[in-house]
Amino acid sequence: MITRRTLGKFGLALAAGTVLFAGPALAQDKPAPFDKPGDVKIALVRYLSTGDFFQAYLAGVEAQAKALGVQLQVFDSRQDAALQADMVDQAIALGVKGIIIQHGLTESMKEAAQRAVDAGIKVVAFDVNVENDKIPQVEQSDRDLARLALEQAIKDNGESWKAGYVYVAGIAPLDRRDETWREFKKKYPGIDEVAMFGTLDNPIANSVANQARSVVSAHPDIQVMFAPYDEFAKGVKIAVDEAGLSSSIKIYSADISTADIAAMREPGSAWAATAATNPAVVGQVSVRALAQLLAGEDPGHNVIVPPTLITQKDLNDNDIKNMEELSAKMPQFAHADVAMPAWMPNPNK
Amino acid sequence: MANILIRYGFLALLVALVVFFSVATSGFASPQAAVFIFQSVAITGILALGVTATLVVGGFDLSIGSVATSAMMAAAYAMIVLQQNAFVAVIFCLAIGALVGLVNGLIIVYMRVPDLLATLGMMFLLLGLQRIPTEGRSIAAGMTMPDGSTAQGTFSPAFMAIGRHRFDFFLPDLVPVSVVVLLILAVLIWFFLEYTRFGRMMYAVGSNPRAAELAGAPVKAYKIWAYIISGVFASIGGILLAARLGRGDIASGNNLLLDAVAAALIGYAVLGASKPNAFGTAIGALFVGVLLQGLTMMNVPYYTQDFVKGAVLVIALIFTFSLSGRTAR
Amino acid sequence: MATMFRIDGLGKSFGPNKVLDGVSLDLFPGQITVLMGANGAGKSTLVKIMSGVHAPSAGAMSLADQPYAPSTPAEAIRAGVVTVHQNINDGVVSSLDVATNLTLDRLTGRGAHLFFNRRRNRREAAEVAAGLGLDVDLKADIASLSLADRQMVGIARAMAHAPKVMILDEPTSSLSSSEAERLFAIISRLRDEGVAILYISHRMSDIRRLADRIVSLRDGRITGTFEQKPLDYEGAVNAMLGRSAEATAVSVRDGGKPILTVSDVRLKPQAAPFSLKLHDGEVVAITGLVGVGKTQFAETLFGARRAVSGEMTLDGQRFAPSSPADAIRAGVFLVAKDRAESGIVADFNLARNISLPFLDRFSFLSVVRKRAEREAARRQIQNLAIVCRGERDMMTTLSGGNQQKVMVGRWMSQPSRLFILDEPFQGVDIAARRDIAAKLRANAQGRATLVFLTELDEALETADRILVMSEHTIVGEHRNERLDIDRLLAEVAAGAMKGAA
Repeated sequence: MITRRTLGKFGLALAAGTVLFAGPALAQDKPAPFDKPGDVKIALVRYLSTGDFFQAYLAGVEAQAKALGVQLQVFDSRQDAALQADMVDQAIALGVKGIIIQHGLTESMKEAAQRAVDAGIKVVAFDVNVENDKIPQVEQSDRDLARLALEQAIKDNGESWKAGYVYVAGIAPLDRRDETWREFKKKYPGIDEVAMFGTLDNPIANSVANQARSVVSAHPDIQVMFAPYDEFAKGVKIAVDEAGLSSSIKIYSADISTADIAAMREPGSAWAATAATNPAVVGQVSVRALAQLLAGEDPGHNVIVPPTLITQKDLNDNDIKNMEELSAKMPQFAHADVAMPAWMPNPNK
Repeated sequence: MANILIRYGFLALLVALVVFFSVATSGFASPQAAVFIFQSVAITGILALGVTATLVVGGFDLSIGSVATSAMMAAAYAMIVLQQNAFVAVIFCLAIGALVGLVNGLIIVYMRVPDLLATLGMMFLLLGLQRIPTEGRSIAAGMTMPDGSTAQGTFSPAFMAIGRHRFDFFLPDLVPVSVVVLLILAVLIWFFLEYTRFGRMMYAVGSNPRAAELAGAPVKAYKIWAYIISGVFASIGGILLAARLGRGDIASGNNLLLDAVAAALIGYAVLGASKPNAFGTAIGALFVGVLLQGLTMMNVPYYTQDFVKGAVLVIALIFTFSLSGRTAR
Repeated sequence: MATMFRIDGLGKSFGPNKVLDGVSLDLFPGQITVLMGANGAGKSTLVKIMSGVHAPSAGAMSLADQPYAPSTPAEAIRAGVVTVHQNINDGVVSSLDVATNLTLDRLTGRGAHLFFNRRRNRREAAEVAAGLGLDVDLKADIASLSLADRQMVGIARAMAHAPKVMILDEPTSSLSSSEAERLFAIISRLRDEGVAILYISHRMSDIRRLADRIVSLRDGRITGTFEQKPLDYEGAVNAMLGRSAEATAVSVRDGGKPILTVSDVRLKPQAAPFSLKLHDGEVVAITGLVGVGKTQFAETLFGARRAVSGEMTLDGQRFAPSSPADAIRAGVFLVAKDRAESGIVADFNLARNISLPFLDRFSFLSVVRKRAEREAARRQIQNLAIVCRGERDMMTTLSGGNQQKVMVGRWMSQPSRLFILDEPFQGVDIAARRDIAAKLRANAQGRATLVFLTELDEALETADRILVMSEHTIVGEHRNERLDIDRLLAEVAAGAMKGAA
């Protein structure tokens, strides 16, 4: 774990370095193959796609691809691990130059990713560890996400409270967020986790709402709900509202979307804060990291997109109603200077 | 003895579960918790009542889950993108449900496609269709449209009230709209199937279509109507889903389908009916709701809940097909 | 001549229902024995016992002087008794090709190869086909073959076992006459090879063409054996349809004013048109062998199918029902043949079965008035003396006769203009049959009653007038009073022979 984190820092430093070194080059002369970007085909192979996060991620990928002028092919396996692996082979057969693997299971994607690398295709992976040195890992730092949200919870509620926790094991980002939650519980023994629940039955928010209703009936004394995924948080919020406990429970989460902003800003909303990496930015960074590889540059093994903490107060003070306004009014959310050599077009401008 | 077991076994089991959970957990035995159990099964329960109608005529409807999620998308689309009011959104959803049911029925009755295959095809078709208008985006107020503009509409307060309003019932603000809708639809379909001549004929069509035809029943029309009922009920489920979530989520609805079918099949075992029936379906849905509520309150992880659901279904089916069949002979 | 297959005192009961009662029959090599029998005579039960599907309740069988008691169909085939079933598609697997079908039974059982070898399969199939002089493409799918070719494939496979006895159960029932000719050629060839053949049919044309000997089966007993040349076909039909001395004579009435007139109706494109009139208060029976168009006519009157041409009137009004619902509205009711398949709703109790066609009349604002429904059921239970515990009994708890009474009661619960019953006495014990017939006659006033019956006895016990149907048309009419039975039987049998010529 520690090694990974150091690796991450190393990656960041490297990425920053690249930015510095690439600085003097003119934006117009892009390195090959981006001098003729219309001939460059890249593929996005997705495991998860339901939910606003993944929509926004896709939008970011599309925006950056468009800014570069490359052709983008999107494969969507809809949570079918085997299909996702097949889709990588399909992309290889289509003759793409680069592949972005978005989520998935290590077991099913490891070999598919290796096949792509063997075929001379550049690959980056987002939020899935394919255990391959040649493949940079784009990550929103899940540990930082959880940390920011939990630090806010400590700030708001002190160091000892009764907590409900929403978690489903086996999903990489949730597992990483879970590590941080465990650390926090160790660090603050006053945190008492009285209930843990969660499900990915879709519609996820509806299923989680049903569970959360049961949990808050059984434990009406819960003060903090840690729901480190916005679909979970949305479900918990529905349940808390329905149980009439909005004033006594605070929800801390990760990720954000337009619908989440509306939910957080409802009068008396229990949803206190969320830590988020702009999924669109993550999408942009994924494409940029891939572009760097294709141009023969090294984005570093771990490309980490830093998160931002967004509180209910931030939203209300700035009167933010949707993701566009969030990007506009909280610039740290709109763009991350990651994998940004000088020749790289910035889609946000 | 065996007869009593078959007739009342499942109801007794339900009562036993309620007693067990009331003792084992605090907060299970309260009016709010009771109402919540109904609320948690309202959507799947309504879908289950619809699929019961198709089971009665000897058919099956696999498309209900995706009809529900399509209706949810349609409601959100009508209000947020087309900026319509709640009434138009609801009518729009119901029309979609009825249309899908009609198409299902026509394909099954006139094109002679087996019911499972026809509705399976419809399920996939709807999964794709619900993504087309927004190019795969979920629909929420202020969303960015495919052309880059921002959607201007919002979920109208009247529509949100379907998900949030609660009626006073002894206690203030106790019973949510979805529970009321579930109860009304359950009573309606129960009365329709058990007491009207149309319901009776639907059972006859399911049991022996040739005999029903030679008794003068328009068998094809009855079958088509059953699918329309199923489609409309599923779309009502979708409306409630949209009102609860406050947005239109891309979702397959497969879990809704599985839970609804499970409830309807568990219903076969209730009162030893050995056939699809509305009362049984409602009890079946409630049974699943009580079980999940109790298990969640006892902090049992979610994957064991699927296991328990499956086990209940298998036991109910054994009840139905083995035990009650033996005594009938 | 040595006996190849001997049946000795064979009996079979299903519950209280005695289907076969002391049947004794010998089959000889190189001879075709035709077994004739009406529906329910026990033919198929006899075939099932011989082919190892059922075990007999009494009696014994022997094959080439060895005791023969197969416990499975496979055992029967291994012993040398093969059966070609009535339903051709039961004999072949339509999704496989001809070669595989010809060798299907080599794919299972002891000694079967683990892997399917297409070349070996084709080679074996070619041998089988050659054995019967069969000329079909071995690679063709069964589904692409004509019915006759499929039949041949089924027979060829059976022949590959070098059978001693071959049973053919109504093999021509779905074949055209030229296809049947090919089948007859093969059967003749098998006879010449010394196979003992039992051929079951009621098609007079087949029988005349093939029979060396005719055995008539009726109510589970052998009622006649005919082997003197020339064969006495009329005698055989007579023995099969039966004419028991104790048949109770009815007091014949003449009908009142005409209710139904049928003018120049054709049931099939090739069939001759016919006309008839049915009158108020009379009970008319239409008799004839199986498959001569009785059910088609019943269903035409009831709107379940349409006549090719012709006119019908009901009470002077043009009558052309487009659906059963249409016919029911006009007061034309049908007690359909085969109650289990087209009458009884097994999930419903007695009362609900009775009210089924008339739910609208038992409803107020579409809500069924259960009290009125139960009352109507109780009336019919009393009316027809249905033996049951009450109107809420499930149909499965009733005997066949009482189930049939419920079916009749269903349609008697409301007044009709034309009351049609298609084989109402099938699988009905004699007491229930007399009850139903008596009730039909007792309340016959105010409507015309038309009963379709294969068994002559039943017609004689029930009707005022008897019409004879053959080849989808009416060939004779008799008043049921001192009627000329011989002429009637001749019409039943001769019409069929004429058609085949």
